Order: sequence, then C-alpha cells, then structure tokens
Amino acid sequence: MTVATRPGADADRAPGRLAALLASPGARLVGKRLLMAVPILLGVSVLTFWVLNLIPGNAAQQLLGPEATPEQVRTLEQQLGLDQPGYVRYLGWLGSAVTGDLGTSLVSGQPVTSQIGERLAVSGELVGLAFVVSLGLAIPVALLAAYKPGRMFDRVSMLVSITGLSVANYVLALLLVLLFAVELALFPAIGFVPLSESVAGNLHSMALPVAAIAFPLFCFYTRFLRGDLVDQLQGEDYVTTARAKGIGPGQVLLRHAFRNSSFGLITVVGLNLGTLIGGTVIVEQIFALPGIGQLMLQAINTRDFVVVQACVLVFAIVAVLANLLADLLYAVLDPRIRYGSR
Amino acid sequence: MSELASEPVAQREDVLGTATADAPVRGPAPDPAEPLLVVDDLRVRFVGRGRTVHAVNGLSYSLAPGRTLAIIGESGSGKSVAARALMGLLPSTARVSGSARFDGTELVGLSEREARRHRGADIAMVFQDPARSLNPTMRIGVQIAEAVRAHSDLDKAAAHRRAVELLAMVHLPAPQRRFHEYPHQLSGGMRQRVMIAIALAGEPRLLVADEATTALDVTTQAQIMELLLELQQRLGTAIVLISHDLGLAASYADDVVVMYAGQVVERARTADLFAHVRMPYTGALLGAIPRLEREPHSLLPVVPGQPPDLSALPGGCPFRPRCSSATDECAEGPPLREHEPGHWWACWHPLPDAPVKEGV
Amino acid sequence: MAVVDAATATVASRPVGGRAGAWWLRNLEIAVPAGVVALVVLACFVGPLVLPVPPPVGGSVLESYLDAGSPGHLLGTDPNGNDIFSRILHGGQSSLTVAVAVNLLGLAVGGTLGALSGYLGGATDTVIMRVLDVLIAFPSLVLTLAVAQSLGASQTNTVLALAFFSIPAFARISRAATLRLRELPFMAAAQLCGTPGWRVLARHVAPNIAPQLITFGMLGMGIVIVIEGALSFLGLGIPPPAPSWGNMIAQGQQSLSATPMLVVWPCVALFVTVLAFNLLGETLRARWSGR
Repeated sequence: MTVATRPGADADRAPGRLAALLASPGARLVGKRLLMAVPILLGVSVLTFWVLNLIPGNAAQQLLGPEATPEQVRTLEQQLGLDQPGYVRYLGWLGSAVTGDLGTSLVSGQPVTSQIGERLAVSGELVGLAFVVSLGLAIPVALLAAYKPGRMFDRVSMLVSITGLSVANYVLALLLVLLFAVELALFPAIGFVPLSESVAGNLHSMALPVAAIAFPLFCFYTRFLRGDLVDQLQGEDYVTTARAKGIGPGQVLLRHAFRNSSFGLITVVGLNLGTLIGGTVIVEQIFALPGIGQLMLQAINTRDFVVVQACVLVFAIVAVLANLLADLLYAVLDPRIRYGSR
Repeated sequence: MSELASEPVAQREDVLGTATADAPVRGPAPDPAEPLLVVDDLRVRFVGRGRTVHAVNGLSYSLAPGRTLAIIGESGSGKSVAARALMGLLPSTARVSGSARFDGTELVGLSEREARRHRGADIAMVFQDPARSLNPTMRIGVQIAEAVRAHSDLDKAAAHRRAVELLAMVHLPAPQRRFHEYPHQLSGGMRQRVMIAIALAGEPRLLVADEATTALDVTTQAQIMELLLELQQRLGTAIVLISHDLGLAASYADDVVVMYAGQVVERARTADLFAHVRMPYTGALLGAIPRLEREPHSLLPVVPGQPPDLSALPGGCPFRPRCSSATDECAEGPPLREHEPGHWWACWHPLPDAPVKEGV
Repeated sequence: MAVVDAATATVASRPVGGRAGAWWLRNLEIAVPAGVVALVVLACFVGPLVLPVPPPVGGSVLESYLDAGSPGHLLGTDPNGNDIFSRILHGGQSSLTVAVAVNLLGLAVGGTLGALSGYLGGATDTVIMRVLDVLIAFPSLVLTLAVAQSLGASQTNTVLALAFFSIPAFARISRAATLRLRELPFMAAAQLCGTPGWRVLARHVAPNIAPQLITFGMLGMGIVIVIEGALSFLGLGIPPPAPSWGNMIAQGQQSLSATPMLVVWPCVALFVTVLAFNLLGETLRARWSGR
C-alpha cells in the first residue's frame, strides 16, 4: 500500500523499481515466510527427536536386542549418552545438526552426513525427473482437455486421471515391473547405473522408477489444472472480456486462463514435493535404488536410529523448503501479491 | 465535456426530472434511414437436463448509428442474455433463434469463428464488474493492446502506442505509467475506464454497456456515463445501455425498451415513455423509485411478488400475477403493438394516458 | 454473467420432477461408488461369516500354489497353502478398520481444533496453526515408518502414527470452512444475540462444516488405505502371517515372474476400494463446491 498506488499521485514519475519492489508487500511477505520457516524447522527437529528417542524409552535395548543383559544395556546407554535428560541430548544433537554433523552411524561407524549426501543426489534425480515428466505431460493434456470440455479427449483424460490417482505407487511399480521388465524385458527391474558412469544407462535404469512416481503425479496435475482451467473459462468475467475482444479461444485459454491457473499449480507442486519425497522410500525399495529412502529403510531394519533420525530430518527439511519455495515463487509471480492489493 | 468527465456530476441526482428537460438540450440525433442494428423476434433458451429456461422470448428493436437505446428490466428479465446473444458469448447450452442484423449482416447462427470477427471490431461490450472483468494477473496496457491487435495488424510497439492513446482517450491520468499497472492498483472507476478503452480498441460501431455503472458509486457512475456520451459524440458509436435503472435510461437514452420475463412489454422514445407510461409494469418500476416530493417516512411502493420462473412461463401476460389491473382477459397474451406513433406496449389495460407526476 | 449463470444453474440443479424412486439412477456418480464401498465393507466383514471360505491362516503346504478356481479356493492359494480369497477379505478388515479409525480421529480432533482455531482467531489460531504446520511439513510415510519402527508394528500404532497426519489435514479444512462461515451474517447475528461461543460452534459451525469434512474423509479413506498398505508392504504394518493387502503384495513380489496373480489379486482389491472412495469423495466435493 505504501508503494505508489494512489491514483493520480505524482503522475509519470519513474518509480525506483528495485527500491519499490524491496519495500513492496510482496518482499515483506517473502521475509515473513522465511522467518516462519525457522520455527517450523525447529518444530520438525523436536518432533523427529521426540518420536525416535523418547517414545521407545530405551534405544540401547532396541539396539542390542532382547537377549542383552541389563549391564550391557547400561554400558551402551552411557556410551551413547542416553542416560542424560532428553532436552540435554536434544540440544547437543541440534547443536551438531546445525553445523552439518548428523552423527555417526551405529552400524557402519561412518559419519551420517556424507552417507546422506550421495543418497540425496539419487533421490533428487528421481524426484526431479518425475516432476519434469509429469508436468511436461500434464500441462498439454490439461490444456487440450479444457479446450473442449466434455468432448472425448476430456472424458478419457479425466477417467485415466481419476483411475491413476487410485493406484498406489507400489502397486503401479510392481505392475510396471511385471509388464516392462518381466514380460517385455525392455527395462531392468533393478540395478542402478550411476549418472557418472553412463548417462544413457542411468536414464535406462531410472525409467521404471520415474514412471512409477510420475504417473500418479501426472494424473493429479492433469486433474487439478483441467478443473481450474474450466473454472476460469466458465466462471471468470475476465475470460468473457477477453472473448468479447474477439481473440481466439486458444489465446483465451493460454494467455488468460492458463496464466491465472498456473499460480494455483505452483502452490500444488510445492505442497506435493513434501509427500512425493516420502513416496520415494517405497519406490527406491522396490527398484533397489541407492537413494535416501532406501538408506532409511535399511537403517530401520538394522535399528540404526541415528541414521533414521537424520533421514527423517532431511525429508522434513526438504518438504519445508519446497513449501517455502512455492510460497516465494507465488509471491514473486503473482502481481496481486507482489504489488499488494488496495 | 472532458471537464465533466473528470469531475463529479452532482446535478444528475434528479435523473427522472431531467429526462424531459434534457432531451431538447442534447437534441435527439437525426433519425437516419439505415439502422445499424435490427433485432427481430430474438429468442434465447437454455436447454438443460429435462428443463428449458426461456430467457428471451421475442425481442425486437432497431438502433440507428450514433444513438443510444436503453434496455431496462429486473435481473432475470433477459436483457443481458439478449446482449450476449448478439456477441455470441452465451454458453453452449444456449439456443438462439430469430434475427439480429448488424449493418446488414445476420448475427444469429454465426459460427464461433465468424462471430469472433465481429466481436470487438463491430460490437464491443463493457461489463458490470470492472474488478472481475479485467485479468488480475496482466498489466492493463497489455490487456488493451491485446484488444488492439485482435483486429489490426499493428506490431507490438504500435499496439502499445495505441493502448496509451486509448488510455488518454478515457481520461486516465498518467497513461504512460498506468500502462504498466495491474488492475488491483486502480480504483473502480479507473478500472471501468480501462474496460471502456478495451471496448474502444477495435473501433466498434456499437457499444453494449451491460450494467456498466451498477457496481460503481453514484459520483463515479455519472463520470463514466459522461465519458460514454463524450466518446459517442466524438466517435459516432451507437450505444445499447442495459440497466435495471430507469433513471439512467431517462437521462442518457434516446429510446427505451422495457423487458419483463424475456419479453418486451413497452417501447418508446425516452421522452414519450416517461411522459406517458402505459404499461403497468413500467409504472410499477417508476413508482418504486424514491422521489423527493414523496411524504417523508412514507412507505415506498414496491412491485409485489417475484419475477416468474422462466422454465414454466404461463401463457398470456407474464406480469399478470403481479399486476393490480389484471383480469381473466390477460391470460390470452396481449401482443406488443404500436398503439401510438412510436409508442409500443403489450397490455390489455394500459395506464390512463395522463402525464405521470413530474419529478422535482 | 450473473444472468446467464443463474439461468443455467436453475436448469442444472432442479431435478426432473415426478420420479422420486429413481434417485439413484439420476445420481449414478454417487450411487455406483457408494454401492462398491458398501459391497467391499459387506464382503470383508460379513463375507467370512456367511461364505464358505477357509480361515486366512494355518493352511497346509500340501495345498500351496493352487490355481484360481480350484475346488474350495476361488482365487487359489498362496505359498503357505492359505486361501487367497479369504486372506483378501480378512486383509480388507484390517485396512478398513485402520482407515476408519484414522479418519474418525482426524475428524473429531482435527475438526474441533480447526473450528476452534478459525472461530477464536488471534493467538489460539496462531499457536494451533503453527503446531499443525510442523506436522504437515512431515512426509507422512516417513514419519509413520519411524513411529512404526519405534513403537513396534501393530494395528493400534499404525492408527496412532497415521493420526499425526489426518489430524492436521482435517484441521486445515475445518479452519478454512469456519473462516468462510464467519463471514456470513447469521454468525454475527448469533454472536450479537449473546449466544455463548461453544453453542455457536456446536449449533451453527459444526453442522455447516460437517459435509465438507465428511467429504474429505472419503478421500482420506483412500489415502489411509494406501499408506497402510505401504507400511505392511515394507513389513512395518500388520505382521504376517496375519493377512493384509500390503503384506500379501510383498509376499507375492518375491515370486513375481512365476506367480504374478499372487500380487495381482490384492492389488485389484486395493485399487477397487481406493477408486470407489476417491470417486465418492470427488463427486461429493464437486457437488459441494457447486460445480
């Protein structure tokens, strides 16, 4: 409101664009969101710590198994510092976590941070490819469906998407393996080829896992975008204005409806990333991809709670940051927020 | 005129009173032989699941270049639907029949592609709610330039210059800078000026103002109307003024068509109509306007009852259930006839031909 | 636009008069998925009692890997000689029980929190929403896995872990609905009349936001059934030999190429159930949003 939005006031004076943008409501919103992320991240770390350390009561017992003697348990507790009160342990853990030290694996004895680093790259590639593929397909399909709602293409794509949304990703993954690896032998069911070894080999080994993650996403985005586009086209007065200008339906769809729908899509994509990264756990497990999800499952099976804790924290941080990014992108792109409203 | 446009026009509050006084001042435009728009027995129905809504049932009028016609009616009387039918802007459930000839070209039954050639270029429209009628995510200048380029082969830079010119034409201050602003940064009146600039971008010969001032406050309303009149005189554009406000029609229109339940119930020159209202429905609408000479604290007469269900219209006069002079005769539809030269009405029991009480 | 909308809206919303008995025919979008849901529930909970199906566990290895259609075994048997059809019905019981419990918890706790948050506003709102933001930030499967690992795999623990996610989701929806409601004049009227806050919440807010929450619950059923399946699939849900759709799929995966039907049957059960809930939820949501 403080930016020159008053009608008639100092006409045609070139505004200091950058200064105005920094003082704009949009910039303040960005600052606010960044600040809000801090308590959320702290809360996430508390919850992570609490769930994994305090509820079971005795991590040492779990680690040693039911046959361990009380003396063995007590010795290990002291070694791990588990005899100290919870908040002391949390603060110690948090203190090293913020410096990038997530502890040492109880099983392998290696620093967790370096283990996670490599794994995160694999998971990141998986999720990134899934996003590109799903959005790259969903946007044109949704546009085509919304161009003539109710026609055959629209009906088929909506049927496919609601069906696809009801297929659990592990079900889809297994069906893909059954069809493309077992029956047709087009793609490998397991066997990850690192990107550094061979780009083509890497993409080949990633094809099925990416498809398993991307297909439900594609269905979701198609459905969301098509619904929003149709709402805009049928319910918004500015669409009528655009049509009354005499511009073609394609331009109305692309320049007007899609432009406005894309803001909603950005938010949804950001929210999705959080759930999506969780979904990689199961897909990585099925396809034996050395990602962070697989690391976490291995750690769960070997009761390596230091690694589990680090993985959960990383997942949560990625989700928080994805939401934050979507918020920021929205604020930067949508002029109503960027310049504030009257 | 331009002074008027940028200043509040307070004198216009006694809209009814000025009707007769105003007409001679502006003078009715000469009635040329060739009308610009001839609407004949236009009908629109919406076909839905097992039900048909008859929104417009036989609308006829003609409009000469440079003149203003007001179409008056309550919401649901079909006035907006009829206007959108001209533009081909109705949803796919609409079935339009009858005829609407614009400069000799039949508009009814045009394909979407053909209709698009006329939209913006021949007929343009200004809508009710400027806050919702502009795309909130596009700079206003771009929205105007888009309309400019829809019907010309100007390049981007030329369209930009033209958009700025249009902004100046609708008296938006600092048009160069405003070009880059977004709709939410403008006031309601300024947004409506932008809408008018968009409408004028294709240099249309007919401008349909669909409740264009309803969402604005009274002062802004008057400014926008003055702007429309000014542009009409400069550009020779014919205007169809769609409104529920009889006062607006009295002040600004040459001719008035009163619609009820999708039908025309009365039609006349503005001065004629307000001097001699014959249709009881028009009379009831007039009676429902607050007037200064009324007793303080007296109850305002209202039109009793509700507009009819357009999917189950009874035969005969649609106003019958709400009309105080209705008789059994009214069950057989009174046709719209030219009972007096230039004055048409559809009623078996017209109001006595006495001048209605003068306003203040 | 208003005029056109009003006209088309009346066309669409008014039912064809006179055929009251044919409600379900005119509402196939609701009737079909609702019918499938009813059928699945009936089959899972009543089926094993009335149908001649063997128990889901304790089969003989001599009867393992029987084909579908074998005498007494509609869908054949698994590697342990257990009847697959029976295991699917019993597995459905645990999936549906967990899903209902999780959604009821979410509805009750989350719905109340959200309504309070939206109705009271101010500091209460801020605190509740910040706490929920933390929960929402978590990828649900990840935390559920962690909880399952910490607490041990059991049906109750699965419900508790999943409630972590249903509660904030319901709370968000309930809060948004309450905020919209608060704009309406009758709420102000109730408050101006001096109606106590709890009464406004119970009499005015609750009945008005309930439809939206229940609609979301339908979609939530599908989500929970999928996650519950994932937990069991990963060996952190219902522990074998007790049947669940998830652990049946996991078991079948080991011999995917030789006996794919071991995976296909539970997948079909999972898919049909989730699809029915999703269709029901989507249709209800479309009705409520007036599309």
